[in-house]
Amino acid sequence: MADTVTTAPRALRTTIERRRPGALAVWRGRLPGLIMGGPAVLVFLAMFIIPMFLAFVLSFTDWNGYSLNFNFLGFENYEHAFRNPRTVDAAIFTAVVAFFGTILCNGVGLATAALISGPGRANTVMRTVFFYPYIISSLIIGFIWSAMLAPEGVVNSLLGGVGIPPLPFLTDVTFAKASIILTIVWSHFGFNMILFLAGIKSVPVEYYEAATVDGATRWQQFRNVTLPLIAPVVTVNLVLTLVGLLKVYDVVLALTNGGPAGSTQTIVFQILNDSFANADLGFGAAQSVILLIVTAVLGLGVTLARRGSEKKVAD
Amino acid sequence: MTTTTQTSVNPAAEVLLTDPDELGAKRRFRLRRRSPRPPAGTKIRTSLVGAIVKWVLLGAGAIVMLVPFYIMVISAFKPQEAIIRDPLMISPATFTLEYLGDAITSEKFNVIGAYGITLLFVALVNLFGIALSAPVAYVIARGRSKWHLGLLLLFVSGLFIPGQVTLIPVVFILRLLGLINTIPGFILFETAATLPVTIFLFAAYLRTVPRDIDEAAALDGAGRIRAFWSCIFPIMKPVVATIVVLNSISVWNDFVSPQIILGPSSGIYTVTTGVYAAVGEFSTDYTTVFPTLLLAITPAVVFFIVMQRHIIGGLVAGATKG
Repeated sequence: MADTVTTAPRALRTTIERRRPGALAVWRGRLPGLIMGGPAVLVFLAMFIIPMFLAFVLSFTDWNGYSLNFNFLGFENYEHAFRNPRTVDAAIFTAVVAFFGTILCNGVGLATAALISGPGRANTVMRTVFFYPYIISSLIIGFIWSAMLAPEGVVNSLLGGVGIPPLPFLTDVTFAKASIILTIVWSHFGFNMILFLAGIKSVPVEYYEAATVDGATRWQQFRNVTLPLIAPVVTVNLVLTLVGLLKVYDVVLALTNGGPAGSTQTIVFQILNDSFANADLGFGAAQSVILLIVTAVLGLGVTLARRGSEKKVAD
Repeated sequence: MTTTTQTSVNPAAEVLLTDPDELGAKRRFRLRRRSPRPPAGTKIRTSLVGAIVKWVLLGAGAIVMLVPFYIMVISAFKPQEAIIRDPLMISPATFTLEYLGDAITSEKFNVIGAYGITLLFVALVNLFGIALSAPVAYVIARGRSKWHLGLLLLFVSGLFIPGQVTLIPVVFILRLLGLINTIPGFILFETAATLPVTIFLFAAYLRTVPRDIDEAAALDGAGRIRAFWSCIFPIMKPVVATIVVLNSISVWNDFVSPQIILGPSSGIYTVTTGVYAAVGEFSTDYTTVFPTLLLAITPAVVFFIVMQRHIIGGLVAGATKG
């Protein structure tokens, strides 16, 4: 009822405003938009955009995280990052995790997606089975596997049952690195699989029918029909996995805590350790900025590199 | 490059989850396949071998996926030596609720408190995230000027900034505002972290909502804000459901932000930071580890079982549009 009463004066007001569009009227027209957009913009600026620029500023300082005072050091933090063997080792290990993790997550994800893309109860059950670890926090995934792979853990006890001596899954440098990568693949490939499945499902059935008439085998169909048509999904998967794995932290913390002898420390592990355990947030910020640049370059690089194979489909 | 997948992926996600009548298409496919190749017998044999190989592989994969979960569940009810000696079995002789009870009443990790506080965070972040995002997404979706495009780009840029990069300066800003180690500070950061994906999905969805509704509301005398909340927002149910699922999972599982922003000095523990405090140093005492982990993941697993279809569909929508 109240709505209909207000109709007439409001309509009248807008016609008057239209006759003389003063600055006030223009602002009154924009007011609802400002009220609706303003709060989100403010929160986002304060917690995202300003911090991003502040990261650059802080990376040139010796801020300790507790006080609000700091001194400018110039490029000292960056020099330190490139000279520090710990940081360099962490960067190399992060690259290894990101490289093998991306290949394995997407390889296993694509293979399982191709195998269970058909309809039916069994395939649906398999999707759930392969996907469920993704819902569990990676910190807890790390703890689960740390208990499984410990010297006296379940895996060694099962190996002992078939006469294999205990393996140093978490205590030998090479084994520990492999354990981290495989734990990540175990918990993450289900996510890649779901995206691949979505892509495969979007391929029109007619293409397969035509390929079958031409006498193509299932492998040839996968290679020449499915794979080119899901090229955009492949790109999304590669970029998401790569960028995500450059930030690996929770799994490492829970599974090996960076050990043995610091061999499985990743870049983010270093950043958080230096920032908060060693109270050197300036150095942490410098490493963060380097990570941001590397992430952006690699993400864009993969996207552009994949553009070629996506184009082929469009033609 | 992501735009090509956007239109097709989400409905496809629904298809793969619901398994509708695709069998018809499949049957047609088999018939055609056999007819141009007369020796049908060999064809069937190879596809039978193929099916056996496929299901052996998938079965092995399923075992690898499920055994850790199974072991974690049964180990929560066994004493230490039984866990080590006989990891795959549980017998009435070794079964005990003692350790699970200990974990529930543990002083190191107050499970019930952690559930409560994490649920509170999930609810508040969802509430604030949606209340902030929906109106701005509406303004973006309806706007035609370059300012609106700029606004969308501003928020979407957040998708490409790794959270760890902003965490250190966020600590600085929260210290400046006096909000470090407080719940409002944490909620503020987590809410901001949900904005990019939420606004992106909301704006994409609102573009598909006809402008006629806005015009009808305006004719009835509603202002833009009123028209949005009483006419447009109720139509957004499906995309709001997707966002609630996505944000709930990410807030529930987040470890770094609560650990850094709330910090141990606040005495406020979420499920993840609580588990870290309880299990971190005592990872060889399995009678503590397994019951604690079981308690930590139970709500997530129950949520997954109940919401399975929405979770997988929502993740597909969220991830491919990101």
